[in-house]
Amino acid sequence: MLTKSFKYTPGEHEAEKASNSYLMSLIAVIAGLPLPIINLIATLIFYLGNRKATYFVRWHCTQALLSQFSLFLMNSFGFWWTISIVFSSETLSTNYLSYILTLIIFNAIEFIATIYTAIKTRKGIHIQWWFYGSLTNLICKA
Amino acid sequence: MKKSFIQGLIIVFLFFATWIGLSELDWMTIFQVKKVQQSTEQKLGDLFWNIYEKSQNELKSRKILAPIDSLLDKICISNKIDRAKIKLHILQSDEVNAFALPDNHLVIYSGLILASENEAELSGVMCHELAHLELNHVMKKLVKEIGLSTLISMTTGNGSGEIIKKATKILSSSAFDRKLEKDADIKAVDYLVAAGIDPEQFANFLFRLSEVEAKMPDGFSWISTHPESKERSEYIISHSSRKSHKYKAILAESTWLKLKEQL
Repeated sequence: MLTKSFKYTPGEHEAEKASNSYLMSLIAVIAGLPLPIINLIATLIFYLGNRKATYFVRWHCTQALLSQFSLFLMNSFGFWWTISIVFSSETLSTNYLSYILTLIIFNAIEFIATIYTAIKTRKGIHIQWWFYGSLTNLICKA
Repeated sequence: MKKSFIQGLIIVFLFFATWIGLSELDWMTIFQVKKVQQSTEQKLGDLFWNIYEKSQNELKSRKILAPIDSLLDKICISNKIDRAKIKLHILQSDEVNAFALPDNHLVIYSGLILASENEAELSGVMCHELAHLELNHVMKKLVKEIGLSTLISMTTGNGSGEIIKKATKILSSSAFDRKLEKDADIKAVDYLVAAGIDPEQFANFLFRLSEVEAKMPDGFSWISTHPESKERSEYIISHSSRKSHKYKAILAESTWLKLKEQL
């Protein structure tokens, strides 16, 4: 995670909106929704709502969406694996438990990183994540 | 672009490396999963068996139990199955049926013994039910049909009478999935061959009973709940023909006849 200077200094209103894009994914977690797609939908709705916003807001909405998308893939696999254990002939195994622990680790890292970025972005500081930041630079043009 | 691609690959690699790394530890033991599963299975086994014990007459005569025990001993020893864990019960009933309950309860109806023409036919059905137990099909079926949370609530004494009744019926009078039935048949053939019992007799039994069942459907639960008996006997014969083995009777002819007389 890197603090980089942005092309311009974002205003108070922009910083608030950009910070909210990260908070959207957290709201779904706080609400206790177990479906992994909820976080993605929450972030996607916010992203679509801000398509015409300023560059700083769009940039951070995109970074939040991309990070949620990869988590969505990991969590979906874990979710359906769990469903197959509860409702079908699949049984608990070391492989499954290891996968769930890996999910917990990756989700916790993402959760902490999201909170940190939301706080920093709220102050107008531009935070660029490793991989997601450079990917966002490719997708989101000024 | 190239930098993002490499970074993406590193994240994917980190994810799988963490997963594989964690898989090296035995989480099933760390979280005591097996211990909890065994305790749940034991409680469910006791619960279901108590229902049968109260409602049906269990035959405990040595003259009836000893020959069946000899067959079971031979099958278990030849297949390295712990005989001590199998709880054998013979119930007085005209129904041609046998089934497995959680916690290794093997229930055989006297009607099934009478319908078997020889020890190999009865051993075939016993091996089939043993295979369901050894392959953990009984618990899988219960979880699928009743649901894990309901099963756990049953073990804590919170299950409603209706659900317990339903679960009991599912265990004694409904078949497993087609795939599980086939797996149990194939495993049963392996058990029979290892014990020196002719598996073709098991196939014959299925074939014969399916024909009788077609004429008089009542009372042939074991066949009517196990679909496609003819197809089953065909793949049992095809699987057993690949195995060359010498077959030998376990019980003396007179012992077998005396057993049937007792019933």
